[in-house]
Amino acid sequence: MRAHLTRRTALGALALLLTAVTGCTSSGPGPTDPLPSGVTGSNGPAPVGASVTLKVLGGSELQDMTPILDDALKATGVGVQFTYTGTLDGADAVAAGRADGAYDALWFPSNHYLRLDPTGAGKLLSETPTMVSPVAIGVRTSLLSSLGWDPAKVTWAQIGQAVAAEKLTFGMSDPSRSNSGFSALVGLASAFSAANSALTQDDITKASPDLQRFFTGQKLTSGSSGWLAQAYQRSAQGGSGTSVGALVNYESVLMELNRTLPAGAQLTVIRPLDGVVSANYPLTLLNSSSAAARDAFQRLTAYLLRDDVQRKISDVTARRPIGPGVGPGAGLPGDPRAELPFPGSRAVADALLATYQNQLRRPSRTVYVLDTSGSMEGDRLAKLKQALGQLTGSNDPRGEQRFRDREEVTLLSFADSVKWEKTHQVPQKEPQPELAAINADVQSLSADGGTAIYSSLEEAYKLVAKQQAAAGDDRFTSIVLMTDGESNEGASAGDFAKFYQALPPAGQAVPVFPILFGDAAKQQLQGIADTTGGKLFDGMSGSLDGVFEDIRGYQ
Amino acid sequence: MRRVLGVVVSVVLVAAVGVVIAVRWPHSPGPALTRVSGLIGSEKTEFFNSPEVQQALRNDKLDVHVTSSGSWQMAQQVAAKPTAYDFAFPASSTATSSLKDLNSVPVRPFYSPLVVIANRSTVDLLLRDSWNGVAGPMGKVPPLLKSGQDGAELLDMDAYRQAVAANLTWGAVDPQGTRKDLRGQLLISTTDPASSSSAALYLAVMSYLANGQQVVTDQSGIDRVGPLLKQLVQSQGALLASSDELFRDFLSGVGRPLIWTYESEAAGLARAGKLPQDTVVLYPDTTIQSDHTVVELTKNAEPFAAAMQNDPVLRQLAARFGFRPSGDPQAMVQALGERGTGFAADVTRIGSFQVAPPSTDNLQKLVNAAKGSN
Repeated sequence: MRAHLTRRTALGALALLLTAVTGCTSSGPGPTDPLPSGVTGSNGPAPVGASVTLKVLGGSELQDMTPILDDALKATGVGVQFTYTGTLDGADAVAAGRADGAYDALWFPSNHYLRLDPTGAGKLLSETPTMVSPVAIGVRTSLLSSLGWDPAKVTWAQIGQAVAAEKLTFGMSDPSRSNSGFSALVGLASAFSAANSALTQDDITKASPDLQRFFTGQKLTSGSSGWLAQAYQRSAQGGSGTSVGALVNYESVLMELNRTLPAGAQLTVIRPLDGVVSANYPLTLLNSSSAAARDAFQRLTAYLLRDDVQRKISDVTARRPIGPGVGPGAGLPGDPRAELPFPGSRAVADALLATYQNQLRRPSRTVYVLDTSGSMEGDRLAKLKQALGQLTGSNDPRGEQRFRDREEVTLLSFADSVKWEKTHQVPQKEPQPELAAINADVQSLSADGGTAIYSSLEEAYKLVAKQQAAAGDDRFTSIVLMTDGESNEGASAGDFAKFYQALPPAGQAVPVFPILFGDAAKQQLQGIADTTGGKLFDGMSGSLDGVFEDIRGYQ
Repeated sequence: MRRVLGVVVSVVLVAAVGVVIAVRWPHSPGPALTRVSGLIGSEKTEFFNSPEVQQALRNDKLDVHVTSSGSWQMAQQVAAKPTAYDFAFPASSTATSSLKDLNSVPVRPFYSPLVVIANRSTVDLLLRDSWNGVAGPMGKVPPLLKSGQDGAELLDMDAYRQAVAANLTWGAVDPQGTRKDLRGQLLISTTDPASSSSAALYLAVMSYLANGQQVVTDQSGIDRVGPLLKQLVQSQGALLASSDELFRDFLSGVGRPLIWTYESEAAGLARAGKLPQDTVVLYPDTTIQSDHTVVELTKNAEPFAAAMQNDPVLRQLAARFGFRPSGDPQAMVQALGERGTGFAADVTRIGSFQVAPPSTDNLQKLVNAAKGSN
């Protein structure tokens, strides 16, 4: 009887295991296979493991892991529920204790920046790197012959020279928010300073002239590596937005992007010969996690490190496998690159970022088109003043929390027509008085009247054209549109589309970043973002402060 | 009814893919298992994840759940969650002094020497023959490699200390530029000494050499060796938290050319036939013993510690995962068989000099001096 029962239970377990091996090439438990756990106190066979969902704060590029994580759920019973944020914002959240209890684990491209802060490092219990991708530069294949480059032998110095000679433009994500941009900045500073070890303040100073020349060629910026790839793809397919000759991004993002690009826009991935900074995607358990989450973490990491799973990760995501046993997936060259050291202190890391924002990058021209119609009265207007006012503060260690030195900021208040517009130049030195003046204008906003979104946007474009013509400069230029309602006066969506299409190239290169707020019409705003190559931000489900900060990555 | 000692069910499934699965469990039914949770050094993750080890522990009536953590962080983790863990199992006995052990006799079932791991082509550049007059901006440097007894390759740690003091670069070692991926200062890469015992012990070894071959025992010694330690740590930039991560990065080609870790990391892979052919294990000629030590935090840990100490199956498995069981120095290389080439059969006989570690208090001060956080 006992034997009979046992056998029946065995068949039940077999059914479970069957699910577990679906899609795997191995034919049974091997030395690297994870052991099903959860056998405490039971006499029967081991079930696959209690079903657990790990709450993970991670990078949005991990969406491409969905097929692997689906398999992992079947095999281990461990699911992953992501909340996406940028690597550096994530580091801030962890250090401030906002991840405690809210998440079990982190999964960012790198924990370096987080670990440089002892408070943040103290929140981490255990970490396991899961896959690898170096930050590389994807250059339009059609440009290679005119550049005279053998892609296997290009250095950062050569790339810098090509940019300085105006033979190459590129897009790169905001290093103060996104790990790919930050890694590229570290690589560039290391290469241009010829540093023999981890960067110091002196190395940054030494590299600054070359870096500044290099960043004159940066024509596209974004808060995340994913949006940068989308922007390139949209422009390559004939859509709106700025066209660039190269993209700085993870090797994996560039390889994945190539799968969807037309022949003429294909990118050749260059890992510069003088070294790269790689992401190793550590799945990281938080100290605050529960015992159940710790067990689930152990099961999931053991699964992800299996040879067959590593093979699939590399094939699906174009990232490189971690550890031994599995070679890189198809199309990923095996010749090694020096791994350049990441800064060893927050002081140096933040100094590099602040220098980039306030001195090295092309300055910005930023126009805020602000709905101050009657419906904004009260709480809505207060929130707007708070969100915009925070960008005029003084605490800004890594150059992402306030308007930058050298930035031109225009505020345009509108209702049924434009009420007023005021422009401020934030100076290179002692920016505080000008920042205070911007804040005074922000706080003076008052609400009344109807809502003429499209007409006001047209006015903003005309204003930008005037500013560009008067200054004769070359700035990152963008428009933020903040509204709480539907356009009910003035030009229509069709009128605006016609207006936009008639703009000269310098005008069409200006994206609008609309913010959804109050009773705003999502379709109208999404249409504006699509027409102009911008991106819609949601100010309703999250905090408006957060949205105004996020948009900074795109300005 | 016939007593069933073990039931093996094999079913051949004529599915589309034709997968054969075997399910085995020798212990059904049996008495309940004791659940034991612990913190382990990351270098033991593979060991505890292995089905064979889990089975051996179940045979000892134990259901063991582990979480890896830096050995130097364990006291902090335990303090933060006093009821979460039954035991801590760090990689060195030095890391245990701030943990309260219920057992008065420390259980040290196995150890693993600290080693430097590199690729063959990197080691070739360091060979004595090609080392004529190699110098850094601050002076000439003696050869870094020595041949030890027992076929082991030894790294001359004092020559390495001089190389770092002379700011020796890979460019000077490889003037032809045969290895484009070697760049910058010649430096051993470590984990973060603030969280990981392997790096802390590295600083202990280097402090001994920089202190005129004397264990650092006072503040004046700390002040004397501080500048070198600072250079060793701060030149590396951001540091990884665990030796397992350092080793995995190395194997993935995103690491640095010379990494400081436990021999078990490489030996465990070699046993599994997965250590890349061109991987070389260099034994430092000056080192500190690192005993993996079970610290009993609750009564539940007692049978676990006893099993780790006494179960011959677990000792044999430890050897197969690249650890050296206490009192049986040759067991690991014997377990590796022909895959043990390049590993010293008996590390006590290769000519490597073992120094005493500084007191835990002084070691902490050395770590702080190196990190510039004192």
